[in-house]
Amino acid sequence: MPSTTAAAEKLLLQMVDDYTEREISPEDMPMDAAGDFPAGFIQKLTDTGFLGMMLPQEFGGAGFGPEVTAAALNHIARGNASTAVTLEGHFKTIDQILKFGTPALQQQLLPSANDRIFAFSMTEASGGSNPMGIGSTATREGDHWVLNGDKIMITNGGLAQVYCVLVKTAPHELSVFVVDQDMPGFSFGKREDFIGLRGTPVGEIVMDHIIVDNDHLLGKVGDGGRIGDSAHDDARILMGAVLTGIMEHELKIATDYAKERKAGDQPLTALQVTHRKVADIAMRKETTKLLFEKAAQLKAAGQPYSEEAAMAKAHGSRAAVAAGDDTLQILAGYGYSREYPVEHLIRDARAMEIAEGTVEKMRSAIATAEFNK
Amino acid sequence: MKIVVCIKQVPETNDVTIDPVTHNLDRRGLAGVMNPFDKNAIELALDLKDSRDDVQVALLTMGPDDYAESLREGMAMGADEGYLLSDRAFAGADTLATGYVIAQALKKIGDADLILFGRQAVDADTGQVGPIVAEFLQQPQITYAASLRLSGDNEVTAERLLEDTKQTLVAQLPAVVSVRSELNTPRYPTPRNIQLSFDKPLTTWHHDDLDLDDTRLGQAGSPTIVTKVYAPEPVKRELTKLDGTPAEAASQLITALKGRQLI
Repeated sequence: MPSTTAAAEKLLLQMVDDYTEREISPEDMPMDAAGDFPAGFIQKLTDTGFLGMMLPQEFGGAGFGPEVTAAALNHIARGNASTAVTLEGHFKTIDQILKFGTPALQQQLLPSANDRIFAFSMTEASGGSNPMGIGSTATREGDHWVLNGDKIMITNGGLAQVYCVLVKTAPHELSVFVVDQDMPGFSFGKREDFIGLRGTPVGEIVMDHIIVDNDHLLGKVGDGGRIGDSAHDDARILMGAVLTGIMEHELKIATDYAKERKAGDQPLTALQVTHRKVADIAMRKETTKLLFEKAAQLKAAGQPYSEEAAMAKAHGSRAAVAAGDDTLQILAGYGYSREYPVEHLIRDARAMEIAEGTVEKMRSAIATAEFNK
Repeated sequence: MKIVVCIKQVPETNDVTIDPVTHNLDRRGLAGVMNPFDKNAIELALDLKDSRDDVQVALLTMGPDDYAESLREGMAMGADEGYLLSDRAFAGADTLATGYVIAQALKKIGDADLILFGRQAVDADTGQVGPIVAEFLQQPQITYAASLRLSGDNEVTAERLLEDTKQTLVAQLPAVVSVRSELNTPRYPTPRNIQLSFDKPLTTWHHDDLDLDDTRLGQAGSPTIVTKVYAPEPVKRELTKLDGTPAEAASQLITALKGRQLI
């Protein structure tokens, strides 16, 4: 008999597959066209308990570990990447509150993470991958803090109700605070019109003299850089999982089409040019899978995983775009048509060459880690 | 009130083979999933549980140890406990021998007010086990219920949709009911309930745990003899295409039907 943990994980992935097939996949193309989640979609996802998948049971969640959580997002992304990325943004934020929040803050906030989406916001108009360039501030006034500034391009911005915000507490000092959309001085700004992952809202929040207690500080004053890096690491594992799901989707489209389509008298499956493309897609998919799974295993084992997470995202994002391009070429005119999902899978994958740190920044991080060995 | 839902695990794939000796379905080595129609019966039980404070829902299945997975899935949907009937002596049972063991287990459970079945299993498609269990227990039965509600203290009212009529039947409890898949949409097990399902009681009963007549068990206790299993030849039908305007096609159709003395 399998262990209880293994049996529960098998049942979870079985449920995720069933839910993805019946509730998520049918919305993939309409979601891309509409540029939003359909009405009731997030509520049903919430009611089915997806938001609490990795939240510890003491906070009302399911308490699944990093490996199966990544696997679940991988399976969801086979049907629709936007849904998986919205959950990724939520999970990485919960992870930081679990790592850096005080017990009192965790007790106050985390039970609501079963029903409310959380988001982590770093980017500002002055820069994304350069956190010292940000202009948002938190100023201590007595026993509380006053937050001011604009944060943009937040995954789930406008959809989430709770935000971890990276702000300056001194000219060269970054800190992270947790704010709630119900706090006086909080408002939503513009929603981005991005070319990919079009279901997931990406938007702006404005903080105009938001007053928070000291217990809404994550970690200590000055820990912002460390917490931001940690959020990136956790997100990158899950993005590797999402990218693998996109490539699994692409591979299925490519192989299904090649089996049906003939070029002259020969099926596409008989042509070496098809073999090469399909093999390349499969190898890209499999290498990304191994990378995100290794990073998730290291995280579950309590070992460093920053470099492996960066590899999963940097390799996976480029691989998924290239795999999408090969898939498009196999489908030729149909691949270039909006009637088929290939073109939007490329746009979806392309987002992850930028989000959670650009691939260029990933390579710097990987190289630096290698130099330091 | 106690509801027992009898469920079955079926092969995950449609690609099943036939055992060349017994001519039965060969389920060896195939990954199993809960019979999809059984989820409608579980959902009905959970709906009743949601509507009253005093409802306990138990699941019952017969099969090898790995059938516990389907019990866990049903408990993750919300059932309170599970019973697995597992013994080599039960293997190879037809619907009669299966119904016998399930009925004996239900007698041991003892206090079931309502016993629910899905309309049939998707692998063998017989729909017989529910009615057989009802006969063994000498309880009223309603098959293919399209709706069901508790009416009064000790009865259920169910609607059956038949080809040309609708029946409303009332049965005294305890009773056995099999349900149609159109009855409801089964809920998904939530991730948290999946975890918590492993804290719920799952009881395994082997041969010696039940009061059984050995001559009624397994293949030896199964009167069904499968002599041949085959895919019927597709019937080739004559096709005539009617051309012209709709009025011309209608005229041709009437002429053709009259010519065959069909109108």
